Amino acid sequence: MLSRRHFLISAAALPIAISTTGYAQDKKTLQVYIDGDTNISNWWNDIIRPAFEAANPGYSFNVTITRGVGDGNATIATRALAALQSKADPQVDYFEEIEPAAVAGSVEAGLWTELTEANVPNLKMINKAAIQTPIRLPYRGSQVLIAYDSAKIPTPPKTFADIVAWSKANPGRFTYGRPDKGGSGSNFVVRAIHEANGKDPSLFTKDSFTQAKADEMLGKAWALLRDLHPSTFGGGTYPAGNTPALQLLAQGAVDMIPAWSDQALQAMKQGVLPETVKVAQLQDLALCGGFAYSAIPTNATDHEGALKLANFMLSPEMQTSCVREIGGFPAIDWSNLPAELKAEYIDVIPVSIPTFPSGDWSKAKNDGWYKNVATNIVRD
Amino acid sequence: MSAIAHAPGETIPGRKFRWTESAGGLALVVVPVAMLIGLIILPTLTMIWSTFQVPSADGSATHLGVDRFAAFFADDYSVENLHYTIVMTLVSCVSALAISLGIALYLRFSSGRIATMVHALSLFPLFVPAIIISYALVRFTGPNGILQLLLEKIGITHYSTPYLTPVGPYIGFVWESLPLPVLVLSAGLSQVSDHAVEAARDLGAGALRILIEILLPQLLRSLLIAFALIFLGVIGAFTIPYLLGPPAPEMMGPYMQRTLSNLLNPPEAQVQAVILLAIASIVGGFYIATMLRGQGGER
Repeated sequence: MLSRRHFLISAAALPIAISTTGYAQDKKTLQVYIDGDTNISNWWNDIIRPAFEAANPGYSFNVTITRGVGDGNATIATRALAALQSKADPQVDYFEEIEPAAVAGSVEAGLWTELTEANVPNLKMINKAAIQTPIRLPYRGSQVLIAYDSAKIPTPPKTFADIVAWSKANPGRFTYGRPDKGGSGSNFVVRAIHEANGKDPSLFTKDSFTQAKADEMLGKAWALLRDLHPSTFGGGTYPAGNTPALQLLAQGAVDMIPAWSDQALQAMKQGVLPETVKVAQLQDLALCGGFAYSAIPTNATDHEGALKLANFMLSPEMQTSCVREIGGFPAIDWSNLPAELKAEYIDVIPVSIPTFPSGDWSKAKNDGWYKNVATNIVRD
Repeated sequence: MSAIAHAPGETIPGRKFRWTESAGGLALVVVPVAMLIGLIILPTLTMIWSTFQVPSADGSATHLGVDRFAAFFADDYSVENLHYTIVMTLVSCVSALAISLGIALYLRFSSGRIATMVHALSLFPLFVPAIIISYALVRFTGPNGILQLLLEKIGITHYSTPYLTPVGPYIGFVWESLPLPVLVLSAGLSQVSDHAVEAARDLGAGALRILIEILLPQLLRSLLIAFALIFLGVIGAFTIPYLLGPPAPEMMGPYMQRTLSNLLNPPEAQVQAVILLAIASIVGGFYIATMLRGQGGER
């Protein structure tokens, strides 16, 4: 998720800073900062704002898009940290997505509000797997799924072994993106790593990396993927990103790919993918995913209003909207959402949401894949 | 580029060397030259110097050495990438040169609306960014793309897409590389006098003989310049091999970018860059020498 966003930010030819203002004076207007993609800022402006105003009379919010400007929301958080120290107005109430640890000194200085059921009652419904620390509020998720053409594949694969078996029976009809070029291919490679290591994601943490471990544990995954290599599209030609992979599926060149839930569901909604394309999640161990985390500075101009907004975002109404409008995953437990929504998405609801650490493991994964899976150089 | 626009030997009548003009000319180039030195040459030299710094085992000191280059050439994967880059560049160069020579010859000996259209079409790739070409080629030559559908209409069903194979970027390179050599070779061909061609024809020389004995010798310099221009454009390419090429081997452009920003290994990316720079410098030096020889010889 992060690397895809960073790619989009760096690819944007012209940094855009748009601020929408102009609301009635008697309303309390919260300042929300967003540095995510257009689909997210549009969703906030077009869907969330009217709903929030209706549910909280006297309140509104103003969205400022920091996408592609400096470090995005981290720059605004640095400003808020300076305001905290000088007791000035930070001019911010709510960060749609931020990693507090990336803003040096902000956690130690107490810039971030601890969010609990006491100040955000809807946290009682939260999906516990999504919680990392009380200063980060998970509110929408995205996960890699298997997108497949149901006209060709009546029953979707339920396990990694199913995918391998199907690919070997239908050579050239499955592919995944290069792991460094987009999260969909990357997390498929991660799933192979999990598969080769007892399906235990907990073995891989930021601190568990050693070169010897990587050689041994990743080596087993390379054998698995190398075995799949000749059966993939073009005998191992892996497309260069999330979109090129979706494009191959859209052109009918392949029948099955791993894809981001939000990208696949949106493409299906927009008619970019054939009508027969469906999505499914592996049921023994899901493909990786992650959540977008919001945060509220302790010195927010309207702290009480920001907490109202946080609570509103976790309401079943907004969580349903997250699924319907942006193809995201809810951050609250599915049991709190309408039964028909759950029935509609039953194939993609994961039992768990595994993750894979960035840093050394990720580097070893990407470079190892190129040197051991993609290349046809004879290895010793 | 001025030597291309003004053909060799072309002198502007009534001009003599004057110091005042020379000073004015120098004033015009001083800013770009200063920027070139400050923003490109100095950082490049610093970078090259740093690739010869080898950290000692405990990381406390460095000494001069070629260990990092030795590591590059000891790694099969890196060598394969370099080899692939050079072969891809040379094959693309030769193909683009051959095609653009054909176009330039056609333009030299034809006139009328069709020739004008061919000329315009041959320059068209100049105005299309590489990323647009890449995505267009995916749609055109890709699986179930336009080309495959057209071929199937006439009964050819064994189409195998070049997308994501070495042929993919090759097609992209040749297409994108056409305009400059067409311009350079057209300028070169315009120097060949009609009389020489007609005289050869009167003596019974065929088209091939005229090409080999009359045209090519006079075109040699233009061909060398065109070769250098294509070579330098292709060897450092990024977008086309990134989007159209196979995952491995990688061309040096995408490989350097991946080493730098995904593997977060600037020292290794620098070594790759210096090796590529060395190869490009040979061709670049050759280009400059060809240009200077042309100018000097005519004075």
